[in-house]
Amino acid sequence: MEDRYSIIGKDVPRNDAVAKATGAAAYTDDMKLPGMLHGKLLRSPLPHARIRRIDTSRAERLPGVKCVITGEDTPKVKYGNWRLFPTTQDEYPLAVDKVRFIGDEVAAVAAVDVDTALEALELIRVEYEELPAVFDVDAALAKTAPALHEASPTNISIDRKISYGDVERGFSASDYVREDTFTVHAVSPGYMEPCSSLALCDLDGRITLWTSTQTPYIVQCLLASTLGMRENDIRVIKPFVGGGFGGKMELRPWEFCAAFMARRTGRPVKFTLTRQEELCYGRRRHPMKLWSKVGFKKDGTLVAKDLKILLDGGAYNAMGPTATFLCGNFGAMLYRYPNYRFLGEHVYTNKAPASAMRGFGAPQSLFAAETQMNMAAEELGIDPIELRIKNAMVTGDEIPGVATISSCGFIESLQEAAKMSGWKRKRKNFKAGRGIGVGCYSFISGGVFNWFNTQYPFSAAEVRAFADGTVHLLTMASDIGQGSDTVLKQILAEELGLGMEDIRITSADTAMTPQADLGTWGSRVTLMGGGAVQNAARKIKEELFGTVSARFDLNVIFEMECRNGRVYAKGKPERGMTFGEAVALAQKARRGEPLVARGYYTPRDKGLVTPAFSFGAQVAEVEVDRETGIVSVKKMWTAHDCGTVINPMAVEGQLEGSIHMGLGYALSEELQVENGRTMNNTFLDYKMFTAEDMPPGESVCIETYEPEGPMGAKEAGEGLASPTAPAVAEAVYHATGYRCKDLPITPEKILKGMKK
Amino acid sequence: MTLSKFDYYGPKTVAEAVGLLGEIGEGAKVMAGGTDVLVRIRHRMLKPRAVVGLKRIEGLNGISCGPKRGLSVGATALLADVAAHRGIRRLYPGIAEAALGTANVQVRNMATLAGNLCNASPAADNAPTLLALNAELTIQGPGGERKRPLEGFFKGPGVTDLAPEEVVTAIFVPPPAERSGTAYLHLSARGKHDCTAVGVGVMLAMAGRKCRDARIFISACGPTPLRAPQAEQMLIGQVPTDKRMAEAGVRASGEALPICDIRASADYRCRVLGVLTRRALQAARDRAAKKG
Repeated sequence: MEDRYSIIGKDVPRNDAVAKATGAAAYTDDMKLPGMLHGKLLRSPLPHARIRRIDTSRAERLPGVKCVITGEDTPKVKYGNWRLFPTTQDEYPLAVDKVRFIGDEVAAVAAVDVDTALEALELIRVEYEELPAVFDVDAALAKTAPALHEASPTNISIDRKISYGDVERGFSASDYVREDTFTVHAVSPGYMEPCSSLALCDLDGRITLWTSTQTPYIVQCLLASTLGMRENDIRVIKPFVGGGFGGKMELRPWEFCAAFMARRTGRPVKFTLTRQEELCYGRRRHPMKLWSKVGFKKDGTLVAKDLKILLDGGAYNAMGPTATFLCGNFGAMLYRYPNYRFLGEHVYTNKAPASAMRGFGAPQSLFAAETQMNMAAEELGIDPIELRIKNAMVTGDEIPGVATISSCGFIESLQEAAKMSGWKRKRKNFKAGRGIGVGCYSFISGGVFNWFNTQYPFSAAEVRAFADGTVHLLTMASDIGQGSDTVLKQILAEELGLGMEDIRITSADTAMTPQADLGTWGSRVTLMGGGAVQNAARKIKEELFGTVSARFDLNVIFEMECRNGRVYAKGKPERGMTFGEAVALAQKARRGEPLVARGYYTPRDKGLVTPAFSFGAQVAEVEVDRETGIVSVKKMWTAHDCGTVINPMAVEGQLEGSIHMGLGYALSEELQVENGRTMNNTFLDYKMFTAEDMPPGESVCIETYEPEGPMGAKEAGEGLASPTAPAVAEAVYHATGYRCKDLPITPEKILKGMKK
Repeated sequence: MTLSKFDYYGPKTVAEAVGLLGEIGEGAKVMAGGTDVLVRIRHRMLKPRAVVGLKRIEGLNGISCGPKRGLSVGATALLADVAAHRGIRRLYPGIAEAALGTANVQVRNMATLAGNLCNASPAADNAPTLLALNAELTIQGPGGERKRPLEGFFKGPGVTDLAPEEVVTAIFVPPPAERSGTAYLHLSARGKHDCTAVGVGVMLAMAGRKCRDARIFISACGPTPLRAPQAEQMLIGQVPTDKRMAEAGVRASGEALPICDIRASADYRCRVLGVLTRRALQAARDRAAKKG
């Protein structure tokens, strides 16, 4: 039988891979424009203070300095991604009246070179009146705590409740109930390319901004509102981007400052952050305090769960509201909880704001859920994988009022992970010092809730077909290294029966690509961007099918097909022509009007969270030096359900990257913050796993068909950020008897907590 | 790369370098591989008026090694070369281990043994073994050449006994004592490529079944690399059994002055130092035994 697909399911090297590997890729910071100025930001040295006075006169007089601005020079418009709820928009591009964390942006300088800009920063005098500060959720929630924002006197900026069934009744009907408190720490997205933005103001006063972003459309809109301009007088272009992981999905002060100062000076202005700025002041994954109570029947059947989470949000909301929302949803995922209650509160503290980061609340929520599952399994005397299979969600399950699971390969993932890893044997036979553990995940394929209040479809695509057999795909979807340009091209190639070489792509340029796309986050691009591409491609096909049908005078009952560069009647392949000929003919019928189609995707009637969930299970094997507490990860096994695999090579890359980040989260990475100051500000002391630290791994994709996704595809790679920490924690427990409820797992904690 | 402004000099001889240091005076910084100096300049922790690079001085990167003449490593010899040197690996495996354990491949291809010492980080990977082996520095200054033991060279974090116009030109290690062994062990929270949180370098020399001499030096557990003389005394003249080595390890950890910092707590450093010392001593003993 002929393969169902020509190019879906094939290893296709990523569009940007060679360019990035050879250094040919031009990132924003590589760009230079004539007369370009270099910008630098003055940041608050205090965690909480009122700004009394700023004197920039000495800085302005420094030769080479072309522009110095403070909040007072700007329109003072607050911004934030939750536009639907303007009260959540709590950030100014440059501080107005108050600073709320060490690193809060206070002033900006544009000068002829970076050294001059840095020197100018030292000449700016800021008089502060220091205010009391809070550095963790407990202090922030104390009665006497200072309020960071007037609008939130309790320091809780947003809360989220979910409730179904009857939790109290569930607990009284349970045979076994346990209650645990977990804490998780802050980690950095650690993308290799620090943030960089370059703004150009044209003679009409319009702005073009090249910026390292995941969300050109969001930047365009929020830049417009903060500058007091119209959206389409601003063009945002995303060049090559070296990773984002959630840390580049908002408007940021340097994007505003570059644009504002370009307008003011008439010269291009570029800002590039340093690694220290990224680590000390950059977005991070939320530290959280999680309290969870679960009830089971004796046989392991889950009865109820009550979950309360305090998110340590730092000084501003950033993407915290979404993380708060998602934590609660992930707390109810994976297993059937007939009774569930969640309360999440997002708390302001005087620290660098936390935001989205690969998993968006899931790694924290699932660390607690999966660890608790492992603890319950032990006390119930049931194998942890067996206990999971017993309670696992399956296709068709409904989360009351939230979503219906339209495809689910969770049980198969668990079975496969157990088989690959030799789970049963190792679980039983391992001697002290060696351990094996399991962790699982579920994740969203894009969100359905329109907090950005976009007036456009969630994703859009335009396809232009040409008589020479090529097509041009235009989409605002942003490839930041995850491979969406490649995957979207594959989807289009498959639909139109073309090769990758036949497709040109223009992406992520707000002036050139169709409105709009919400950006790269929440694992939305394959499903939503892919849906839009498929929609556009099908419109082109309809046109070509009609043309070819008429040309061969085909019976109306014939099914038509685009494949191998041809358009033809499915039952009679000889009745057809090349793709280019078909386009030429169609164009002729349209009296020269080019063949162009637009496609859109907006999720509708898909519940409150997402159109589709991915699932997976992961097993970790570790060896622990019982004298030093050093953990060495021996191997990782992963079985995951991401629907139809569009590009196995890209999925594998996502998996490896997830394990890399997951191991860092579990074992070595932690932003150490003392009194609001991040202490480890280099990659020497912010310890990401290196290539040599990485263990080998094996993986299997459990193929399911997701009805909402293009060709049956759904999320791959972000959900996988979650299972690693609980799997490693369980393996360490198996090896040493130390149970981690407080990430990260450090050698010190192991030595202290180890059972003799 | 953005660096504050400074003048760069590339002298061709040691005498020229010393002369330049004298002329420039305050604010001159000597640089070998640059893996510490340039990073610190870029982070604006160091703002030199002038940098005097040593890499153009011919012959300064030499390594000479033999059982009779001992080991001599020139000031610009790379850590990568020290780590890969056959003679060093055979006669001074502890020195090769420490060099190989420093940072990562890229850094070792730039950085020098002498630079690692002159940077005087308390966590310097190469100091403990060299101290344990009684290494000696050759130093050139305006008054000519002087030699001094490495022991006592370190005065505090980033501070050495070197005068501003002096340059370390070579490191000399005496021939290994008969039936002796060395070892260097270190660890940090992340497995490889990391700044050492605890390290220990030891040298053990045997006579019959007994230990004739022992030298134990600890890194990252005090303002400078530290010696553990009491632990040494517990071994000298004794049969170095596992039990005795474990006791010496515990004693060594009592002699350290660790602090709590972002890399580890003082408690952890002490606890693990005992373990590492024991393991390093065992490795050194086994190596000594192999030499017969």
